[in-house]
Amino acid sequence: MTERPRRRLRVLLAKLGMDTHTVGITVIGHALREAGMEVIFTGLKQTPEMVVAAAIQEDVDVVGISTLSAGHTRSLPKLAHLLEEAGAGDKLLLAGGVIPEEDKPLLHDAGVDAMFTMGTDTRDIVRYLEEWWARRQAAEEVA
Amino acid sequence: MNKPLGTFVVANDNLVSEMERWEAETRGPFVSQHPERRDPFVTQSLKWPIKPLYTPADLDAVGFDYLTDLGFPGEYPYTRSTRPNGHRSDFWTMTQVTGFGKGEDWAKRARYMLDQGLSGLILEYDLATTNGYDSDDPMVEGEVGRAGMALDSLEDLEAAFDLPFDKLKYLMSVCNAPQPVNLAMIIAALESKGVDPKDFVLHIVNGILIEYTCVGRYIYPPEHGLRIATDCIEYIIRNHPNWAPLSIIAAQLQPAKANPVQEIAFSLAIACAYIDATLERGFDIDTVAPYLNHFVVNVDMDFFEGICKFRAFRKCWARLMKERYGATSPEALKIRMMTSPTTIALTLQQPLNNIGRLAIMATACALGGAGEAMTTPLYDEAHALPAEDAIRVGAALQHIVAHETGVAETIDPLAGSYYVETLTRQMEDAVFEELEKVFAMGGATKAIEQGYFQRALGREQYERNKDIEEGRRKWVGVNHLKLEEEKREIEIFRLDDNMEEEQAAKVRGLRARRDQAAVDAALEKVREAARNGGNLVPPCLEAVKVYATHGELCNAMRDVFGVHTPDSQLSGV
Repeated sequence: MTERPRRRLRVLLAKLGMDTHTVGITVIGHALREAGMEVIFTGLKQTPEMVVAAAIQEDVDVVGISTLSAGHTRSLPKLAHLLEEAGAGDKLLLAGGVIPEEDKPLLHDAGVDAMFTMGTDTRDIVRYLEEWWARRQAAEEVA
Repeated sequence: MNKPLGTFVVANDNLVSEMERWEAETRGPFVSQHPERRDPFVTQSLKWPIKPLYTPADLDAVGFDYLTDLGFPGEYPYTRSTRPNGHRSDFWTMTQVTGFGKGEDWAKRARYMLDQGLSGLILEYDLATTNGYDSDDPMVEGEVGRAGMALDSLEDLEAAFDLPFDKLKYLMSVCNAPQPVNLAMIIAALESKGVDPKDFVLHIVNGILIEYTCVGRYIYPPEHGLRIATDCIEYIIRNHPNWAPLSIIAAQLQPAKANPVQEIAFSLAIACAYIDATLERGFDIDTVAPYLNHFVVNVDMDFFEGICKFRAFRKCWARLMKERYGATSPEALKIRMMTSPTTIALTLQQPLNNIGRLAIMATACALGGAGEAMTTPLYDEAHALPAEDAIRVGAALQHIVAHETGVAETIDPLAGSYYVETLTRQMEDAVFEELEKVFAMGGATKAIEQGYFQRALGREQYERNKDIEEGRRKWVGVNHLKLEEEKREIEIFRLDDNMEEEQAAKVRGLRARRDQAAVDAALEKVREAARNGGNLVPPCLEAVKVYATHGELCNAMRDVFGVHTPDSQLSGV
């Protein structure tokens, strides 16, 4: 019996609004690809609606938002809500960049699954995703 | 007896054998007892090997020749300085960047900065403005007045220009994608303040090609972006010959982690794209080049990479103008540089350490020849908009370097250093190799359209981050001498939370009371010029005077040019 080939994790990376700082998301994109994941970048100046449409169309497992400007307390809850509404609430929603500590509980409650702020080691992010993916695939095999 | 100049560097016949002896008898045995602290030693960004010792033999190896490689200050190839007397006659213009809030906020901060001994200012706009939206557009919620000043209409600039124009020699305006709109608004605002454009230098950055490469504040596709920029260049050359229509901000490639060779080569290739487009408007190279030779160049913490970059940059520009375009006038062959310490060396952690970093980098700028102007980022940069204390320290820092260190008392004091000359030559050679690659692709616009610059920078960003994560590159406060618990040691600046709503209400109010028919007619003229290739600045000027807004004018051009939407490959992510 040959084992069913394990699917590679598909990640959508996105930038919302006018925030054009791309160094962080570029570094993450390279690190995830080097770890064997498939990475799709939306480009800049996305609305939450555009990101949800891309996530569904590209059939990704993870949506990662990089935010280095104000506005994340509005745009991220909206994105989480729209994903849920579109029946895509099972996708892992991550945020990174500059997110003040005091904003984290609000974002977490709104549906952001994990936050990796500036200075996070990319190896920690890769490990987090690999563990999540292993759990998710195990759950899928059972089901 | 004095040696003739040509043999200044020729290694002594027995130098090489003496070096071998030194290695065998003196250094070798020492190192076997005291192993080196790094393996290998490399330059910070280029990762070029650094030898333990440089001698005249290294200059021989790169074929160094004093007269052809260096010459004299103010003369071709300008390696030592573009200024005949370096900084012995006058210092560089000392400037700083500022921009936040509303026009009135900017004017207040600008007056404070002029009082601190600065004579040039750089006006930054918020991301709503630079991306071509008005403050009440739902796309820009949360961004108004944050990363720079909010600008919706001529009214905002009139408020911002409540300044002592006798003290302000020079203003640089940073609004690239919507450049004709911004240029028109400044011209109209100066007019309404009664400022004679001949007594004042406006310098527009007009740097759309770097926006596509790494900064991201683009609107229209690259070919239209270049045409828009060229319209502004042509308008300024013909109407305001004392102004500056372009700045290549190499200092934006560098925070995108361009190494010095990429930084020089990409920005020179980008300069060539503007030059070629401007030559097509019927000018000759000796007329065009003196307008398109402004560069803003950063240094990072590697002292020698920084200093050699300035020296190589001057020479590469001169060679490129002469060899590629056949320029002959000295003004065309001379690059004009504004230098600056980089922001990316600064840390969020232990921010006062940044003052030390800034002092070292500003010294490198001065040792590298400084140029026309210097700007310094500020120690609280990573935390928030600058506080007044940080501005004062930033301005003082330039004065300390200028007046207290003596580094500007003789011209190009590091020339002749075996290491500096070797590295300068290595950089120059590598730049021309890289330039050939870009020209073979069809030049900078093609390289951008194919994502070449973007991918090259993406790789550098990843590598640099890996070096820091894996500890190959030590960074105090980040991966070295880290504090377990850090309490913020500085005061930070807070922007008024009501600002966005006030600004949005202001532009809505303006739209309600202006002559809408005049605005509609003026916007149509802009669309017409966009379609038929007429220069965009005159119709924009007419439109801003009847209070068409910034966002409306950008939309009129969106109607004709469409918008740029690059994918992963073209973004370098």
